[in-house]
Amino acid sequence: MKLKELLNNNTKLQAVTLTLYIIVSSAALYFSQKSVTAFLLVLASILLLYLTKFNNKVKWGIGLLVLVVILPFTASQGVAYESYMEVATFVGIYVAMAIGLNIVVGMAGLLDLGFVAFFAIGSYTYAIFATAQANNFLPDIFPLSGSWFWLFLIIGTLFAAIAGILLGIPVLRVKGDYLAIVTLGFGEIIRIVFNNLDKPINFTNGAMGIASIAPPSIFGFEFVQSSQFYFIVLGILLFVIFAVKRLEFSKIGRSWKAVRENEIAAQAMGIHLVRTKLMAFAVGASFSGAMGVVFAAKQTFIDPTSFTLLESITILVMVLLGGMGSVPGVILGAAVMTILNLQVLTEVTNWLGQLNMQGVISIPDALSPAKMQRMIFGLILVLFAIYRPQGLIPAKNPVFDEEKLKADDLNQNEEKVITAQQSVIDA
Amino acid sequence: MNVLEVSNLTKKFGGLVAVNGVDLNVKKGSITAVIGPNGAGKTTFFNMITGVYTPDGGSIKSNGKDITGSKPHEVTKNGIARTFQNIRLFGNITVLENVLVGMHTHLKGDLVGTLLGLPYIHKEELKAEQEAYRLLKYVGLETLLNEDATNLSYGAQRRLEIARALATKPTILLLDEPAAGMNPRETVELTDLIKKMREELNLTIVLIEHDMKLVMGISEHIVVLDHGEKIAEGKPSDIRSNTKVIEAYLGKSAVGH
Amino acid sequence: MIEHIISTLPQVLIDGLALGAVYAIIALGYTMVYGILELINFAHGEIFMTGAFIGTALFITLSGLGFLAVMPALLALLLVLIVTSILTGFLGVGIERVAYRPLRKAPKLITLISAIGVSFLLQDLVRFITELKKGNYILTGPSLFTEQISIKASSILSSFADAQIKSSTIILVVTAIVMMIGLDYFVNRTKWGMAMRAVAQDRDTASLMSINVNKVISLTFFLGSALGGATGVLFAVQYGTIDPYIGFILGLKAFTAAVLGGIGNIRGAMVGGLVLGLIEMFAAANLSVITSNVFTAEYKDVFAFIILIIVLIYKPEGIFGKAVAEKV
Ligand SMILES: Nc1ncnc2c1ncn2[C@@H]1O[C@H](COP(=O)(O)OP(=O)(O)OP(=O)(O)O)[C@@H](O)[C@H]1O
Ligand SMILES: [Mg+2]
Repeated sequence: MKLKELLNNNTKLQAVTLTLYIIVSSAALYFSQKSVTAFLLVLASILLLYLTKFNNKVKWGIGLLVLVVILPFTASQGVAYESYMEVATFVGIYVAMAIGLNIVVGMAGLLDLGFVAFFAIGSYTYAIFATAQANNFLPDIFPLSGSWFWLFLIIGTLFAAIAGILLGIPVLRVKGDYLAIVTLGFGEIIRIVFNNLDKPINFTNGAMGIASIAPPSIFGFEFVQSSQFYFIVLGILLFVIFAVKRLEFSKIGRSWKAVRENEIAAQAMGIHLVRTKLMAFAVGASFSGAMGVVFAAKQTFIDPTSFTLLESITILVMVLLGGMGSVPGVILGAAVMTILNLQVLTEVTNWLGQLNMQGVISIPDALSPAKMQRMIFGLILVLFAIYRPQGLIPAKNPVFDEEKLKADDLNQNEEKVITAQQSVIDA
Repeated sequence: MNVLEVSNLTKKFGGLVAVNGVDLNVKKGSITAVIGPNGAGKTTFFNMITGVYTPDGGSIKSNGKDITGSKPHEVTKNGIARTFQNIRLFGNITVLENVLVGMHTHLKGDLVGTLLGLPYIHKEELKAEQEAYRLLKYVGLETLLNEDATNLSYGAQRRLEIARALATKPTILLLDEPAAGMNPRETVELTDLIKKMREELNLTIVLIEHDMKLVMGISEHIVVLDHGEKIAEGKPSDIRSNTKVIEAYLGKSAVGH
Repeated sequence: MIEHIISTLPQVLIDGLALGAVYAIIALGYTMVYGILELINFAHGEIFMTGAFIGTALFITLSGLGFLAVMPALLALLLVLIVTSILTGFLGVGIERVAYRPLRKAPKLITLISAIGVSFLLQDLVRFITELKKGNYILTGPSLFTEQISIKASSILSSFADAQIKSSTIILVVTAIVMMIGLDYFVNRTKWGMAMRAVAQDRDTASLMSINVNKVISLTFFLGSALGGATGVLFAVQYGTIDPYIGFILGLKAFTAAVLGGIGNIRGAMVGGLVLGLIEMFAAANLSVITSNVFTAEYKDVFAFIILIIVLIYKPEGIFGKAVAEKV
């Protein structure tokens, strides 16, 4: 108890603990390359970092150091390197999507159950043009080379945002809980359409999917390995976090929350309901679209099975688990769920499989944890809805400094223009 | 001069005529009270003025502009603000943020500027925060600025609704039972606040209220609704002695006494 | 093209009627719960699916014990229907108790999320149990009521093609009609039905009138889930093969039917279900012909969703519902 208090208030002690933790866990990973645990421990240092009381710049600095240098380097010494970085890359992809869905569900209070559709739109946007697929309906100049990837990152983002708006215009007039079902329907429609759009003109190659998607390249350097994609994803993710942090405590973010809290009062305050919701849809969708482009480029093959309802629900679980409306929360939620999905469940399944083989225990295939996704997701959804609807890291409201607000004269405060907005980002 | 002209306003819910051909002219700078028994149609009347319900007949003009059938956010931009009978605050954000939302129509806060963190965004935010703080002080809630709105007491929530409405910089303020649930001391404070707002902020105020002491003490003009119809209108002294009004409130038998 | 449409019409009507009956009864479950709690009970589709599995399991057991060979098939069906509907009825009540009741005062969003959670949980539970027992989660029951009756539609109008009707289809439609009439009677003519309507009208006032609201809600879940489970049995008999994922999309379409008929409106749900079933079968039979192969029958689900979206936007109160303005 004493120790906990001490740790809570003493930043020096925190610094020492964190440094020790990072050194020990990265050393563990460096020397014991096969240890998934060590890898996860290094990742977890970001969570510890979040819990410290350092100021914002320091936190960002240390965080970047860990993610850009320490993690890739210490993981790079063994055969498992690519698989680690694959997990880390997927964590990044899902974190960005969860942040996007969090805007829609957590901030604006709109239950979107077809969110994966925007991811699909981003993916297909790049896949169609980065393969010969586009020759089916355009002059024969495709596939585009991987250097177009960067432009398509923007195009995919825009397409997803536009799809968000086009969907939103009719759908956002629909009242509250109906929205859930309409978006669910929309997600299915998009999947069915992509699944069947190989005729009359072959846009998507239907259920066969699109293969051999050009990997991104820049100045002749090609990104093919997960360890390389990791940096692309990290870059986009930083941008996403940055953007959402800016929005969260701005006029726009406040409008979202006002609409979530009380639509009628929000309107009475002059807020244009549909426009505000559309903005949430579009911004959320755009993050998903960007990651869709990355996903297509990374996998080099996509088909409609990657974009099912289960994916939409997965992202919803991430948001609810982490904490609706809470950016640090959904980052944690997305990381936990992705690691659980990609790493823990497969590891446990393999381990049980081995035990099975050795005849230690006999566990039927039906019990295989890798198949239990739906049950686990379902349990998390129900349990968190009932017992902890605010999630692991509940959303925080900004804390305004009364002294700064008391001052009447703006000029005197020109220096302090970094108001609550900043102090909140620090929090 | 009339800042609000309502004529022949009508609203039906299925077979029920909640408001039936009501006229009302509100003078600039006046305090008008709308009274009547429960279910008389008072709130429905407000809801039509503020665009929450679309009228089935009649017209509404504010500041010379026809706003019949306008959307709520358009009505607000035209200078009409309101509070709600069943308090509608943004419960899970802070008190100061509630007021900030009220200021949104006067903030630019565009997407590009916000994402790029441009200086004018910071500047207008700071200004808005200071203004919001001033408004909180005006209604006496400044010490609670960082509290979540749901955590406030009933009376404080009603005052926060007023502060939030003021933040839209209205010319006309509609208050729906502002004293409901307040204790006598709070009611007196509220009465002073309403008078002060009218004097200092150049407001025209229309209020619905069941507390007759408050109504009689504060308003220059009173309109009485019953079963959706306007049954009387005039100065407080006229209304006090109007037999129709007494009937409406107490039933026919009471008039004889 | 027209000839194709006309000649297939009798078969479309028969198949549409069967599917529509399924939608209609499931829609009842959605509509009753929505009428009372204003909650989209996402798990209702899974209750239907669970019913299909319980029913099939019972059939398999009966046939394993040799009963099916000696007992009249109709009697077996009746037995299975009753047992299944009681079980799924209690399942529904249990779900309400555990996953919805604690959230009655929570924001709608949270309750919806809980409902989705239950829905996924049930899918996997059924998958899990079936796979554990059978090694495979796709289940095929004993074939029952498979006699084909041919309907000489061509004798009515020469451009009609003859249609086929399975005896299970007749059973499905007849049972569905019996269940719907029964429910309608219950809701409109009995004391408990009146209590249900009272709670749907205004929960607070109803509780002041000394109606036990919780009991009424449980009853509603029991009835809706029992009917849903029984429909699952009929579905399994009619279509033969089932898997744990049939409930979700089917439930979604049944919900569409409920919305189409006016949510909260029991008779509306029945009509909505039939309309949707007919439209869907019509689309399945004719879509590729009408659009000269641009859209294939696979788009029939898209059709249902587009109907849902259009109804919700332009006539959210449905065909039979009354428009209500939210009280402010
Ligand atoms: N959205 C609605 N749908 C149906 N009926 C409504 C609606 N809103 C109001 N009503 C009905 O219209 C009538 C007038 O209601 P209103 O709320 O305007 O009364 P009020 O004068 O404000 O009463 P109170 O003093 O109790 O607030 C009531 O009978 C009410 O039930
Ligand atoms: Mg009222």
